[in-house]
Amino acid sequence: MEKNGYQERVMEIYRLMNDHLYFNRPDFEIKGEKYNSAILFSLLTALRQGKELIIGEPGLGKTTSAEFICSLIYQFPLGVIWASEVSGHPEQTEEKIIGRPDLGKLNQGEEEVVWSNFTQIPAKIVDEINRLPETKQSMILNGVDRGNWEYLNEMIINEEYCLFATANYQDGGTNTIIAPLVDRFDAMIESKYPGANLSFQVGKNNRKDHLLRHPKYEKEFHRLFKSKIAYEKKIPKMEELCNGFGEFVHETLGVRPLQKQDREQIRTEMEDLAYDLDGSAFTRMVLAEFSFCERYGQKRSVENCEDGCHYTGYLCHEIKNCASNRLPSSIKQYAQGMAWLLRDSEIDIEHVKSVMPFTLAHRVQWKDQVLSQKERAKREDPFPLFLVKEAVKVILQRYREQSDHLKDALAVGSRIFQGESLEPMEGDHPLYQEIKKDLERRKF
Amino acid sequence: MIKTAPFEKRVQTGISRPGDRLTRNPFAEFETYTVSPKELPLDEIVQSTEVVMDQIRRGYEKLLEEEAKELVWMVQYNTIIKAYEVAEGYVKEIEYTAEDIEDFCFALENTQKIPYLIPGPAGLYISALCNYVQEDEILLKLSELKTEINLLGFRLPKGKRLVIEGDTGDFTGIGIEGGELVIEGNTKNWTGAGMRSGKICVRKNIGLHTGEWMMGGEIYVGGRVRGLGNIVEGKVYEREKLVFPGKARYPNIYY
Repeated sequence: MEKNGYQERVMEIYRLMNDHLYFNRPDFEIKGEKYNSAILFSLLTALRQGKELIIGEPGLGKTTSAEFICSLIYQFPLGVIWASEVSGHPEQTEEKIIGRPDLGKLNQGEEEVVWSNFTQIPAKIVDEINRLPETKQSMILNGVDRGNWEYLNEMIINEEYCLFATANYQDGGTNTIIAPLVDRFDAMIESKYPGANLSFQVGKNNRKDHLLRHPKYEKEFHRLFKSKIAYEKKIPKMEELCNGFGEFVHETLGVRPLQKQDREQIRTEMEDLAYDLDGSAFTRMVLAEFSFCERYGQKRSVENCEDGCHYTGYLCHEIKNCASNRLPSSIKQYAQGMAWLLRDSEIDIEHVKSVMPFTLAHRVQWKDQVLSQKERAKREDPFPLFLVKEAVKVILQRYREQSDHLKDALAVGSRIFQGESLEPMEGDHPLYQEIKKDLERRKF
Repeated sequence: MIKTAPFEKRVQTGISRPGDRLTRNPFAEFETYTVSPKELPLDEIVQSTEVVMDQIRRGYEKLLEEEAKELVWMVQYNTIIKAYEVAEGYVKEIEYTAEDIEDFCFALENTQKIPYLIPGPAGLYISALCNYVQEDEILLKLSELKTEINLLGFRLPKGKRLVIEGDTGDFTGIGIEGGELVIEGNTKNWTGAGMRSGKICVRKNIGLHTGEWMMGGEIYVGGRVRGLGNIVEGKVYEREKLVFPGKARYPNIYY
């Protein structure tokens, strides 16, 4: 782990958020340290180029927290962030979200796209995403997933981007977020009510927006986004402006936002962090329980497993759908971020355990009987997050009971894979069956 | 024609073609993990308990060798004192817990490793174990024992509380030195003989010669006292009623 002070700089931003910009209680603990999950995960999302869904009641700082984080990590004035935000509503169109034809050029018979600020800015916010009708949610699937934005025959690719989307709880004006879009979010967090006393403080103090506003820079950014030069050429100019605003923030707030090379260096350091054996085995165990079906080969949302299966006691029996391949990426992404922030040299089971509920909560479809059994349980978290936290605890318990045996089974699997004549180890968990399947595959 | 890298190269880089038998090892991280022989915590506990039990057993065998060569042991004042001193000398040297004492009591009956259960020396040895164990409160669940062990609670010192679940034999709690002995069952004859101070509580019935030459302390009996001994000083209660000192009772009068 390099000692270049980046962790301290990120923590300075965390403290600025926590002490001055977003008042809330700590609700997340890792290795004895307590944090507010909304701030911490948003910081990691911005740093790791993730996609985060922020849920919560109206007026509890979902959009505001994302705006502040984007401003501080990517050095954009709030005015630019606001101008680039997409708000979800039924009348939203592709032309407002992605881009539109240049009408002047079109009159002259030329097709040219005027890209929206949303597509050009690396820090993207979609406000109230679940107010977008389901048909229109599909428009942003590719962009959200890969950073590719297409309009007419043109395309821009964001080399660096992160995405925050906010969603209110279901009410008359909301729609369901379609499963493929939900799966594209790496993490889901709740912006919680801060409690009566902190809420009173929020009301008592003046708004803090002005701290991150800079009308002059905002105009310059706006001019740059509107200009007709190629997107690739805009990026260095955008960085110049960002660095200028970053200096302003440093002078006024005493916190140094991160420049592009800083963010790149941080990402490189995070990506260098690998799982230790326990972290790896535990993650495999979780993935196995969220995807395994002995009867039908794997979980499928259209198939319902029956009672009487040997694996009834495992989570595969409580869920409807199958974990996607995006899930392990999301877990690793945030676990790396957490390990980096805590200056650990490897991703261990603590990092995995702590980030896992936030990467799983929005992706798991629980069976109705599980929902009805647990919906009245005493809890602090929103129901999907509560269910997953409980599930992770149960799997962790199982892991603690058989971690050595499981690691042995994986080690034996490796040796068999390399050609040794051994028998795969037996054990009572779906993962042992998955190991056998992988070894079977090798024979073909 | 599409050129492909040699097979070894593809294996190194993890790139494979359909048809290659060897694909990416999904367990590669565990390649260097050594499968270790399992040591269950329970095994360790059993192992350490056996070590302690061996030590306790050796002490008992030594006591038998010295004090009951002919496998005959007569209860006499001198023999008791001498045997206790031998037992005391040995148990002082070993580390054990109250649970080990209970295990030893059962081992006396149930294992082939302990040759003879002679109730006198066995009771003295167990008493020595109780008197020198670190815990102040000792619970021996002996209700499943077929043999009633004699001399339990011998010289139980002040500050110690020995609770025995089950019945005990003759000479229970003799020479108690301030400790508290509770028998959750019956005791036989000569209970509390020669005790100087302390307390004996017998939940059920007690035999003859109770408190013979007792110099102080108290004996509480929840059931019936079959007979009192020649008591010098101290108190004996039967079902919460003081029977000594008192007019109603005389030594070994059956009633």
